[in-house]
Amino acid sequence: MSAVSRLRAHFAADPSRPLKLVGATGQLGYGIPAASLAEALRREPDMIGADMGSTDIGPTFLGNGEMATSAAQTKRDLAALLKGARSLDIPLIIGSAGSAGAGPHLDATLAMVREIAREEGLGFRLAVIRSDMPRDVVKAAVRAERVTSLGLLEDLTEEEVDGASALVGQAGTEAFVRALEQDPDVIIAGRACDTGIYACIPQLLGFPLGPVMHMAKIIECASLCCDPGGRDPILAVLDREGFVLESMNPDRRATPMSVAAHSLYEQADPNEIIEPEGRANVAGAKYEAVDERRTRVAGATWQPAAQLTVKLEGATRVGERAVLLAGSADPRFIAGARDLTEQVKGVVQGLVCAPGEEPDYSLTFRLYGLDAVYNWPEPPAAPPREIFVMAEVIADTMDRAMTVAKSTKQYLLHLGFPGRLSTSGNLAFPFTPPELAAGAAYRFSAYHVMAVDDLAPLFPVAMETIG
Amino acid sequence: MRLIDIARVVRSKNAGPLHLTFDLMFADRASYDRCVQSPELNAGRIAPLYGVPEDSVRIQPYPVALAVKITLPRLMPAGSPGDRDVYGAQQHVPLLELEL
Repeated sequence: MSAVSRLRAHFAADPSRPLKLVGATGQLGYGIPAASLAEALRREPDMIGADMGSTDIGPTFLGNGEMATSAAQTKRDLAALLKGARSLDIPLIIGSAGSAGAGPHLDATLAMVREIAREEGLGFRLAVIRSDMPRDVVKAAVRAERVTSLGLLEDLTEEEVDGASALVGQAGTEAFVRALEQDPDVIIAGRACDTGIYACIPQLLGFPLGPVMHMAKIIECASLCCDPGGRDPILAVLDREGFVLESMNPDRRATPMSVAAHSLYEQADPNEIIEPEGRANVAGAKYEAVDERRTRVAGATWQPAAQLTVKLEGATRVGERAVLLAGSADPRFIAGARDLTEQVKGVVQGLVCAPGEEPDYSLTFRLYGLDAVYNWPEPPAAPPREIFVMAEVIADTMDRAMTVAKSTKQYLLHLGFPGRLSTSGNLAFPFTPPELAAGAAYRFSAYHVMAVDDLAPLFPVAMETIG
Repeated sequence: MRLIDIARVVRSKNAGPLHLTFDLMFADRASYDRCVQSPELNAGRIAPLYGVPEDSVRIQPYPVALAVKITLPRLMPAGSPGDRDVYGAQQHVPLLELEL
């Protein structure tokens, strides 16, 4: 009997019992505090969930198929959760595999899972949800005007769809429920709504979806909703009306204020949680302290969507990136840095391009200490003692990008200007070479909403027996 | 009084790769009320700080957490060439000087 069948049998025998869910981590692969995870397992939860990805990390990982986390730590975290879930014979559900949830990320995660199972002697039924969007389906939706821009990015075109290095959709709770119906012990999904990880089992067992989605949205960030917030696993005890939250780290308290405030985090609207299948409204939710460390939440409502939708995420390669890292402490150079870096752009163009030829690359300077993080309209009242100079070059090939970066380094180092005192060099290099190849650069080319009639064909589920 | 003097938390972060969202959080009701009732807390004052149109700025009081949320579009999608802050976690600073 699989872990999911066992759970369904428990609930058939006692439909009024609460469901205990553990949100192990909001970003698997950076390490899960061991003592808190051990405490979570000691509470004998009914499921463990973990999220592995997000768009926060930018378009590069989606585009190049690599993980944002290290392979060694990712495998360590996966092993801790697999061993824990198997020791209790409970479902383990993981979403947005490998940081961005496209095919290469999912496959790399699955390879780790199989390797861990072999090394640890684990056997289980694995359900795999794929989230790569078929290009022909998306292009047909573009032609049928069923793809909507969310602003900033223009309407999606068929050319953008074809040109994307990767194109995924966010799987909703629907896909996870379909996977549960295949009777697995472990589910690993490609790109997915983080809520689906925690909402699928409650939905399968018939819990009301308002509180379920509210709970899912909170525990997908582990103990971030606590005071102080942190990365330790969190326990939610869900009943038919609401849920109680408790961090598995005794130093973190889930207070009514800290939990209510969490609805603000990375959300455009704190009162709504928008999902492919509908939206939860949490404006009427009530937050009550159970004791110093636990808060009970109830009152969110659920409105099914009139139209099913999928959020699309696409990344397109824009070139190869080289960076130059340097600093300066010279007051005359710092005073002129804005003009001097503009000036060196022209010098470099004259060196690496034929006369009259437009640059086939972009060269961007960031002057940390002056206006690199935020584009301040005015210079600082007092000049900084030091500045950090970062130059970014993007070109078609890495050879070309490095060529531009190296000439930039040499000619900025020795650029002359009126009043220059330090005629042996304008820059301090923290190490050499100061020019680094940063790999391919990408941009988000799709972040659009696609209306669909049926979610299931877009997120196929495959079963695999491990061990 | 400036926002930096009365807020408990002032933070920015991406809300998806196309939007920046800001949370102003207060330790007590009086500070929260002062912020919500301030004439400085309006789209016309905030939009130019981020180079966006006034009608794209959404300001939403969230009294249950003694907080105010501000959401506005990014100048470019997170991580596109030219972006300055991929996570958007350091874009709160110009708000600190708002006189409330």
